[in-house]
This record gives sequence, structure tokens and C-alpha cells, in this order.
Amino acid sequence: MTRDALLDAARRAVRAAGGEALARAVSERSVTARLARSQPTQATDLQRARVEVLCVRDGHTGLAIASRTDDDALAAAARRAHDAALAAAHAGPGDYPGLPEPAPARGHDGFDVATAALDPGQTGGALAAALEVAEVRGVELAGTWTAGAVTEAIASSRGLEAVDAVTDAQFKAVAQAPDGLRGYAARTAVAAGAIDAAAVAAEAADKATPPPAAPVDPLGGAGTAELPVVLGPDAVADLLQMLGVLAFDGRAWAEGRSALSDRLGERVAAPNISLSDSVRFPGTLPHAFDPEGTPKGPVPLIQDGVAHRVVHDVRSAARAGGGATSTGHAISPGGAVQGPIPRNLVLAGGGAADEAELMAPVERGLYVTRLWYVNPVRSKETLITGVTREGTFLIEDGRLAAPVRDVRFTDSVLRLLSTTQALSRRPRLVGTTDFYGPRFAYGVVCPALRADGFRLTGVASPGV
Amino acid sequence: MLDALVDLMDAAGGRCAYADARWVDHSHEALTVVDGAIESVDIVDEEGVGVRVRVDGAWSFAATQTLSREGLQEALARALALAEAEPRRPAPTPLAPVAPARGSWRSPCAIDPFGVALEEKLALLLAADEAMAGDPRLGRRGAFCVAERAVKAFASTEGAACEQSVVECGAGMVAVAVADDDLQLRSYPSGHGGDVAQAGWEHVVGLDLPAHGAEVADEAVALLTAPPCPEGTMTVVIDSEQVALQLHESIGHALELDRMLGYEAAYAGTSFVRPEDLGALRYGSDALNVTADAVLPGALGTYGWDDEGVAGQRTALVVEGRLVGALSSRETAGAVGLEASSGAMRADGFARQPLVRMPNVSLEPGDGGTLADLVAGVDDGLYLQTNRSWSIDDRRLQFQFTTQLAREIKGGELGGLRRNALYAGHTPRFWSGLDAVGSPSAQQVHSFTKCGKGEPGQFAHVSHATPPARFRDVDVRAR
Repeated sequence: MTRDALLDAARRAVRAAGGEALARAVSERSVTARLARSQPTQATDLQRARVEVLCVRDGHTGLAIASRTDDDALAAAARRAHDAALAAAHAGPGDYPGLPEPAPARGHDGFDVATAALDPGQTGGALAAALEVAEVRGVELAGTWTAGAVTEAIASSRGLEAVDAVTDAQFKAVAQAPDGLRGYAARTAVAAGAIDAAAVAAEAADKATPPPAAPVDPLGGAGTAELPVVLGPDAVADLLQMLGVLAFDGRAWAEGRSALSDRLGERVAAPNISLSDSVRFPGTLPHAFDPEGTPKGPVPLIQDGVAHRVVHDVRSAARAGGGATSTGHAISPGGAVQGPIPRNLVLAGGGAADEAELMAPVERGLYVTRLWYVNPVRSKETLITGVTREGTFLIEDGRLAAPVRDVRFTDSVLRLLSTTQALSRRPRLVGTTDFYGPRFAYGVVCPALRADGFRLTGVASPGV
Repeated sequence: MLDALVDLMDAAGGRCAYADARWVDHSHEALTVVDGAIESVDIVDEEGVGVRVRVDGAWSFAATQTLSREGLQEALARALALAEAEPRRPAPTPLAPVAPARGSWRSPCAIDPFGVALEEKLALLLAADEAMAGDPRLGRRGAFCVAERAVKAFASTEGAACEQSVVECGAGMVAVAVADDDLQLRSYPSGHGGDVAQAGWEHVVGLDLPAHGAEVADEAVALLTAPPCPEGTMTVVIDSEQVALQLHESIGHALELDRMLGYEAAYAGTSFVRPEDLGALRYGSDALNVTADAVLPGALGTYGWDDEGVAGQRTALVVEGRLVGALSSRETAGAVGLEASSGAMRADGFARQPLVRMPNVSLEPGDGGTLADLVAGVDDGLYLQTNRSWSIDDRRLQFQFTTQLAREIKGGELGGLRRNALYAGHTPRFWSGLDAVGSPSAQQVHSFTKCGKGEPGQFAHVSHATPPARFRDVDVRAR
């Protein structure tokens, strides 16, 4: 659907709803192609649209979503949203403070015309280039190429009218060497043309084919261990994405459930840690406004190691009080029950030229490419657990020495950030979405870092 | 709509080795109450068609919401164009044969949840929330209910033409207690997403949320001051729900044949189980008997046919500790020479292509009696109840779970409350420690509605029938 058609649908939905209402019309087109065992397996071409109608009645919200944009479908959705809000209002006044007043959203460079064309030939070409590298390097390749274009239009009874369009593309590769070692690499960008699938495959192959050495157990048979660690950008992004949920959700903060409840203004990380949500930082995946129509702008979260702010949607800001306003981080119109979440985290880079320089002072430690199945253990401590995957190495005397059996870690994100000794100079975008539900691409821009005392609590798979 | 799909498949014949098409008309309703206020009333209606084609050995798929004849033809053309663009298409593996699915199937539903007034549902949730209220240490309390209806039609180039209609309904509640750096929670009737069944509103009424509110809140607050969980290697009795998640993560996913074959290596991962392990691998103790059951009444992984037209069925996976079966599709079954698919291909709505997803994978009851009987057999150990968090590696071998609540077991009896219980293990070693399984009367069905897999991501709904069980030599930690 065109921008004009989407805005027209949003306007018609607001009119159909009557009273205080907001409508968000979104269209998605995307292509995803998967590889396994060096062969194409599944490819998916999606074209879908939806209209979300939010009605506000006496402080209560009702949200209805339709997959058609004709008048009948929009009227039905508006009626359901109205009825839902009215049913809630029967129990007494609610605490939703009302839709935000219109405010101009800044533009961004998050749309690429060529990517939006979603040429199947480009998809096939990317896979072919990656497979060629794998063949030359003697590794088996699994991977995923995906590109998408999302356009959204939003209108409200307060007079808000805005349109945004974004594109995203990602290629990730898992190479497996004949001895079973695996390596991972991935790149995400606004433009598909910015992703060199062959280079990504080569990076994955490099990790799967280190100089010959038998995989080692970094725990040495013990149940737990603490080692210096160099975390690659993909691993850092996994940690920060989880921190975004555990620490910066303004709703949880207001309810005392956040790791930063009563801790804003305190030192929570090393002085070299400056973390923000910066929707227009170079290399990120920009969005102009959130699903409530609030323009997105930069929010400093941790500055020089000191906890600074949390993020809000309309409802969480009202609950927080003290003059808090939405920072443009709603997950859905009316706010999601789980609260607002930062989607454009940026960790400032440090002084190390590259990962090799980060490893140089490490006598014995770990290098971790990526993490997997990360979940909270004790959320207020930001204590999480997960395993390493596809590219874990022992560092000895400042260099990669041997592949390592994948390990489980159980550690606090804020503790790791408190012991961060150095960061690499150039952060890069790590895509952190798996595209469940409607397409909404987001990611973390971050460098590699070196921290002390990474807490290992078990050996996972054999690392092969 | 079925006729349109059949016509489309007639048009697809000869243009690819195989094709199928699914129409899904899906409705979803979610109501949430938080801290005495109605937080959200969300309603979703979505309808569309997904067309899947097989060219050589690779699958391509296109989804559309344009349901006219032209719209469906255009989706077919897009799927074929995508297939044509793929490099190095593999030689086709024969699909395991299946008789064309014909007819219709409907899940049980006594009271249509979409026919119940929103006010009535909200009143129930407000009553449940109120029953948890009172203690200032509660940082949040909440109650929710969900209802889903999916009407589906399916046709294939092999002559399948069938229809299914499924209604799901469920509810749950949670209390979160906070103090300084600690946060404890209790929930009912499960740790995640409440209890959902293929049933109508009668299922929610039967859960009787308000009656459990006080206990949920009291336990959450009590956990704040409970002693930490003891650490060490010990005997544990695990409640039915945590056994369900343990089974889901370390047996259900590990036995998905696409993972075993490496097809999911780029995302969800592979499996420590190899195809050649079928019939040979010792998965656990003699007490371990596991069945995939897509005909379990009222369970979320129950269906007339899977999403490639294979009838729902029961499949033995582990018998007396020995691996005997796997979860398969027509393609994966054909790849390893199985005579037939186990009927485990399912898709999340019209806009995703089917993947191997577990149906209801259940632990067969044993002769261990009731929960009290299992506890009675422990002199010094721990009782673990209700999942709080979970993590397992990409081969489904090394796991670590925490539970909301633990109680000491001393002299065969349950003792005091313990907080922050965490246990870890390696899959076959852990299941080899399975010492006793509760009897049929102790078996319960538990649901999960956020089982993720695939690219683009897909959520599957599934249930597990599990009794409580006792395990020896388990590694228990406080963190």
C-alpha cells in the first residue's frame, strides 16, 4: 500500500471510531531466504497490512486490529475498540491520561529505495555469493537473508497525522567445518546493498576454521569459573538488549521492579560506559515516532557509568509522575502491559583499535562471539543466564589460542559493565529482532568490550 | 474458501513438484487487569492465505491478504518466482506419502468465549486482582484472560481438501513482590501465560482465579524473607508444570527431526540427537516413557490434520528410556527413510510456512503415586514448583532452570519455603536420574503459547500432560 493509502485508512478509522481515538495503518513487504547444509531450504515472501484502532473512553483504552482497510473492516474494528474501552469504563475511571498532542517528528535516513524493491534476484545473488565462499573454504553453510520495507501512517483525533517508512536487511551465516567446529557472523543495515554476504560468510568460516587445536573446557572440569572476557559486538548486543528490558522500562521503574528503581543518579557501570537510546545515531535502524505517535528522540540512559534516565510511553510516564513524559518508546498504541522498551540502544565506543587490541592484555580468558537463550535469573540484579554459541575461544597470552567448548554463564549485566576495562573504537549495528509477528526491525549499535570475571556456570554443548 | 484453494492448486499443478495453500481466519482477544485497573482490552482479527511450493528440493512461500482469485494467483506466482531465484536448489528428497486429507475437524467448546460479554470477563479479572491486594510489598499484581479462534482450510496438489476450526481459551494471574534488590513472584495456574486449553469460557470459569488470589499474593511476599535455596547435588521432586517445561525443552525440541538434520542450524539450533540414534539412544531411566500426542482432547497441540494435511496421531518417542521415535514432517521423514510423517508440521497463522513443531509431548504416568507419595520417598531433598526462567543450549543438551518456589524435604515431608531455586543438568544424564513418575491421577495438562522457532519467527501453542516426578543426583544452586 502507498503512503497516501495508509494515511487515508488511518484517517477513516479515526473518523469511524469517533471520540478520542488513534489509528495506525502499517504495511509490510519482506523476503526471507534460509540456507542449511549449504542448500536453500525455505524462502518466504510476505505482503500484509493491518490497521490498529485505539479508542480512549474515560481513561480506558480499547485496541482492535484489522487486516483489511475497506470501510466495513475499519468500521468493525473501530466498533470493537469503542466497545472494549466502554466495557472497561463500566468499572470506573481508568488511568490512561489521553492521547499525546501532535508534535512534529524529525526525518531520518532509514529508508532505502533499492531495498524496498525486494528484488528476488538480489536475494538469490546474496545466497549464491555466500555459498561460493563456503565451497571455497570447505565449510558447510547455514544462514538467513532477509530484507523488508515497512510503511506506517498514524492519525489521531487530536489532529496528529504522520507517515514513516523504513527498510532493513540482514544476512547471518553459520559455517561448520568438517571437524564440526562452527562459526557465526552477521550484518544488519538499512540498505541491502550495504551487506556483503560473501564477506559475512567468510567471517563465519574464519571462526569455524581456526588454526588446529583441540577444543578445551575453560572450566577445567570445575563447576564454575570466573575469567576475563572479550565479548564481540553480537554478544554485547545480547547483553544490552536484555538490560533494556530489566533496567530501562519506565513502567517497571515506577513500580519498583526495575534494576534502576531508586538508583537513578548512582554509579551502576564503569566510567567508560555511556549508553543511550539514539534513534538517529549513524548505523542504527531509525523510526520517526512510536505507535502512540510520540516523536522519537535521543535518551541518555547511562552517562559515564552513572544511571541517568529510563524510557516511557504515555501510560508509564503518567504512572511515574514527577513531570515525566513519553519518550517515544511505546510498544503498541496505548502502551503494552510489559511496558516501554528502548529499541535503538547505542553503546559508545572506546579507545581500543580492534578486538585484537582488547585481547592483548589478557593472560588467560575467553573470547565470545555470541550468546544464546539469554533469560533473567534475578531481574533486579540484572542477573541473567545463557550459553555461548558458534565462536568461543580461549585467549592465552593476548591471543586466540584454541576453540572452547560452549559454556553457560550466569552473571549480572551491570556487574559486567562495572568491570568493563576497555571498548573497541568503532561500534556497529547488531540486529536483535527475530521478526515474530509484524515486522519491526531494531538493533543495538555497540563495540566489542573487555570485562573482568565473566562467571561461567557449566559446559554446554561440545562446541562442535 | 476451500473451493478457491482447490482451484488454485489445480492451477499450481505442473508448475512445481508440489504445492499447498492454507486460508486462516484468526481472531484473538486479550484482557488484562493490573493493580486494580483495567490495563488493556485488545482484539485482533486477521485473515489471509499462504501458498507454499516445492521446486526441486527447496520450499518457497508467499502470503497474501487479497483473497480474490487474482490475489491468490499472484501469491502463487510470487512463491514460484522466489523459488526460481534461489541458487543451487537441492535434489528433491521424496516426501513421505500421505492419503489426501478430506473432511472437517472442530475442537471442543461449550461456551463461545467471544459470545461472553467483555464486562463479565473484566469483572472476573478484577475480582481475581482484588483477591491478591493488600500487602504493600506487592509491586504489581495482575490477571488476564485470552481467547482465540482459528478457522482454517487447506488444499494441496495431491488432492487434500479439508477444514478445521479451533477455539482456545484461558486465564492466569501473577503477584510480584519487591524489596530492596529482591523481586519474587508467584503465579496461578502456571508460570507463563496462564492455563489455556482448546475449550470455551467454561475453562476459565473452572480455573476459579479469585479463589487462588490470597495464596498467590501471600507466597510471593513470603518468598522475600524465605531462606535461600540450599546448594548441592540432591534428590528433587519436581511439580507437574516444571516437568512439562523440562520435557518441552530437553525432549520435545531435541526430537524435532528438522533440528536433528541440521535444517534449523541458522537460528533455533540443532540437536544432540542424530537420526541414526533412533532406536538406539538411551535417553533416560526405565521410568521414562514419552509420547507425542496430537489427539489429546482439549490440549493446544491437538488437531485433525497438521498444516501439510497429515492426520493428528500418537507417536511413541521414548519407551522405557530408549529413543524410538521423532517428530517429523513429510520431507524430514522422507529424508531419513521413515514410512510416514508423524504429522508435526504447523504454521503460526496464514503468513508463515509450516515447520516441524511438537504436538502435545507428554510424560506417561508411572506408579509413583501422588505428589505426597513422591515426597515421602525423599529423606533429604527439595521440592521445586512453577517455572520462573529457563535456558538451554542450541543442541538441547545443557539446561538451567529456576523455579518460583522451593520447599525443603526432610524425612519424607515438605518443609519450609526456599527462594531462588536453580537447577542445571545435561539432558540424558538428568533423565537417567528419573527415579519415579507420578501415577495417572497425578497427571495434569499444561499449556505453553510462546514456543518460538523459524525465520521469520513463529510462535506455536502446545500442551504437555505430565505427572510430578522425582529425580536423583540433581545439581541445585542458589544462583
